[in-house]
Amino acid sequence: MPDRRIYLDHSATTPVDPRVAEAMARSLTENFGNPSSVHGFGQQARAAVDRARREVAALLNAKPNEIIFTSGGTEGNNLAIRGTCEASAAHGRHIVTSAIEHPSVRGVCSALEQRGWEVTRLPVYENGIVRVDDVRDALRPDTVLVSVMLANNEIGTIQPVREIGALIRERRANGHKHLYLHTDAVQAAGRMTLNVEELGCDLLTLSAHKLYAPKGTGALYVRRGVRLVGQNIGGHQERERRAGTENVPGIVAFGEAARLAREELQERIAHDAQLRDRFESKVANVIPDLVFNGDRTIRLPHLSNISFRYIEGEGLLINLDLQGVAVSTGSACSSGTLEPSPVIRALGVNDEVARGSIRFSFGKDNTDSEADDVVEVLAQAVERLRALSPLNKPRIITDNTDSVLLSHVQRSPRSSS
Amino acid sequence: MSYSATFKDHLARPRNAGELPEANAVAEESNPVCGDRLRLSLAVHDKRIEAARYLAYGCPPTLVCGSVLTEMIIGKTIAEALNLKRVDLLNAVGGLPSRKHHAAALAIEALNVALARVM
Repeated sequence: MPDRRIYLDHSATTPVDPRVAEAMARSLTENFGNPSSVHGFGQQARAAVDRARREVAALLNAKPNEIIFTSGGTEGNNLAIRGTCEASAAHGRHIVTSAIEHPSVRGVCSALEQRGWEVTRLPVYENGIVRVDDVRDALRPDTVLVSVMLANNEIGTIQPVREIGALIRERRANGHKHLYLHTDAVQAAGRMTLNVEELGCDLLTLSAHKLYAPKGTGALYVRRGVRLVGQNIGGHQERERRAGTENVPGIVAFGEAARLAREELQERIAHDAQLRDRFESKVANVIPDLVFNGDRTIRLPHLSNISFRYIEGEGLLINLDLQGVAVSTGSACSSGTLEPSPVIRALGVNDEVARGSIRFSFGKDNTDSEADDVVEVLAQAVERLRALSPLNKPRIITDNTDSVLLSHVQRSPRSSS
Repeated sequence: MSYSATFKDHLARPRNAGELPEANAVAEESNPVCGDRLRLSLAVHDKRIEAARYLAYGCPPTLVCGSVLTEMIIGKTIAEALNLKRVDLLNAVGGLPSRKHHAAALAIEALNVALARVM
């Protein structure tokens, strides 16, 4: 392990804020009671959970009783989609979603599809953004749910959820009563203002560990009046919608993290955006043949997704890791099967660009000098890998009359973009 | 990270990268499924591999297998090189997860195709 350790993977998870850790540590020993117990120990834990609920609600401009604590983003998305669809199945079995959702949304939609539901997956075009007109065109009388993420986890593009929310409200006002809007705000929370009234969403998913709190806690906002079938059975917790004893220390940590995210939001946005822009500007100056993936204006402030032509993302990722720099790539190669990131592919780019994409995601504790160090390490790694790459060299030609004997070449499709 | 120290060393400092102007046996093999690509250039004289260079595009095991393979084959006779199997390369790189074994297979395939040109 090198001396240098720079973490630029805040979209994967964030380090726990010491203030959050302190609140959680206190809760571990002080609030050990079961919030469902009627005695004082239980009521003390209940009060701690309720305080956290108010903080999470405040982050969203929601009411505390509209917040259901979960184990994280995946559970929240599962509960939102399954719960709403099961509650509304009598009114229709059609879902509208986008091509760039998190796997937890994609997976639930596919699972419902296998059970006879119909799913329309909206394209995002080269800027990585859903078009509201496409949502409008996709709505049918039997549509019960639209699930479009607030901001994408790989490229950071912000989706027009507010406009979709207005559309859904208009449809509901015109008689399409059982039509709901869910948005996965896991990446957006703490990186942009969240206001469920302005967004017009009926369900919204959060995860604590993207907000400088520990893993294992999340929340689902469910607008009052929205019917939801609980997916955990066997207890009365969370207003019958999520059975199971509450993760009190995790919830307390989440509450503290939500408070800090709300109070420090503008400061964090400015900090992350400054770092990200500084980084992108320097990268563009020193490394040729780049593709910036996704819209560069309508996006989260902390995230940069770049494809480096002629090289593959995983090789670059491990080279950077060997230098102490942590980033991520959406592509994976396993069992000889290329799995380029579905999100990058949805932008319409070719395989080579999709395979060469790297996500850099900044956080509140990163510094200018870290960003500059990463540019330097990155430039060296890209140069080293490009020197190795056959893609930016003349192709060899099969010609047995040449003095150099050449083998056959299996050519895979490559475009020049 | 489950990769060996040898693996990391070759990834950080690839050996014999590039092409050989004096090559008389060149092969470029690709995995049409995942897109990995390996170009091997050999200078073979008196049935012995005197020099080897490689270029590679793909996941880290493909880059490393090319590097390690060139170190293994320089100085070997054609017959000795043809005896190399995928498992020999896997052992030399310090092992790979089974889902990455295709990288070693690609390198051995490139070696065999190149050597077939000078036999």
